[in-house]
Amino acid sequence: ILMLSLALGTMITITSNHWVTAWAGLEINTLAIIPLISKSHHPRAIEAATKYFLTQATASALMLFSSMTNAWSSGQWDITQLTNPPSCLLLTAAIAIKLGLTPFHFWFPEVLQGSSLTTALLLSTAMKFPPTTILLLTSHSLNPTLLSTMAIMSIALGGWMGLNQTQTRKILAFSSISHLGWMTIIITYNPKLTLLTFYLYSLMTTSIFLSMNSTNTLKLSTLMTSWTKAPMLNTTLMLTLLSLAGLPPLTGFLPKWLIIQELTKQEMTTTATIISMLSLLGLFFYLRLTYCSTITLPPNSSNKMKQWSIKKPVNTLTPTL
Amino acid sequence: MSLIHLSFYSAFTLSSLGLAFHRTHLISALLCLESIILSIYIGLSLWPVQNQATSFTLLPVLILAFSACEAGTGLAILVASTRTHGSDHLHNLNLLQC
Repeated sequence: ILMLSLALGTMITITSNHWVTAWAGLEINTLAIIPLISKSHHPRAIEAATKYFLTQATASALMLFSSMTNAWSSGQWDITQLTNPPSCLLLTAAIAIKLGLTPFHFWFPEVLQGSSLTTALLLSTAMKFPPTTILLLTSHSLNPTLLSTMAIMSIALGGWMGLNQTQTRKILAFSSISHLGWMTIIITYNPKLTLLTFYLYSLMTTSIFLSMNSTNTLKLSTLMTSWTKAPMLNTTLMLTLLSLAGLPPLTGFLPKWLIIQELTKQEMTTTATIISMLSLLGLFFYLRLTYCSTITLPPNSSNKMKQWSIKKPVNTLTPTL
Repeated sequence: MSLIHLSFYSAFTLSSLGLAFHRTHLISALLCLESIILSIYIGLSLWPVQNQATSFTLLPVLILAFSACEAGTGLAILVASTRTHGSDHLHNLNLLQC
């Protein structure tokens, strides 16, 4: 039932051209995912649910308020015609809170940490989709300077704060934040690249989360012994992580390349240089994850399949895309 | 009419400031959230009155329905956090250290 309502909420928001239907879809998504986060009744899960609920509810209310001020000043509720500048600003801030862009990113690692791996997957891919569609629909009337500064800060913070983490869910949260930065930096110039980045990012993140789910690795130390459980999965995990980092022969390089190309066409070469330098920070922790998972051997190694594999890994093909 | 505009803009900003600066109890955050939705509702129900467009009078009712669900979820989360954490003080929500 909850998955159905998630799908329903997403569909409502995507196919909406009136602000209230978009808001309703976002609320349905929030309401449906709160019991998914707090299903395990662990104190951390409840705390994650509290933080998630508060931030998402404020973001929804802010969005409704911005659409209301726009309606008062322009007399219509169409999503693609957002003419009032303060309401554009408020809308950008509201969607930044919903997505987890800097400076509103503080809830995201903690919420991902407190939820189970599949719920975290849903949170970071499916729940990002409706706000990005709203950004796409309103991309011609958003504020480019605000978005660019938030995007650059997101890439910087996503790289920096991921450096000292040992919990894999938090590492993936920070990688998600920096990928969102990459997505939003191009949205006012070429929204199709944002969509492409989002699809590729969600594909790669899905494969990483599912492989971590089948080996049940929540910490870096667990990651080191994962090669005994399913060796094929381990190698594909390594390739997918490197693809998330954006290394050239793998698929993850494609959105970065196209974004940098588009930015240089728009005469923003310093921005392009800055964000590619900052994604080196992310490269460090991706490399550390691959190093821990495939290249090192744990102290007492036993080269046999020690544990059962609960779920069949479905993603041995997706990293080779 | 601009006095009415000012009144619900200020109601919204006051409630959002209260939500941002809540210090000890989770309930105060939920209350501020509810007052935000209420100010939006009042602003929205004044809109068809001014524009004389009666096809939009159903909007505030829809918003009220969704915000009631939201408030119910917030209260359920409050109850769940009181069950697991012992109280609704915000100092207790520090299990997920960053």
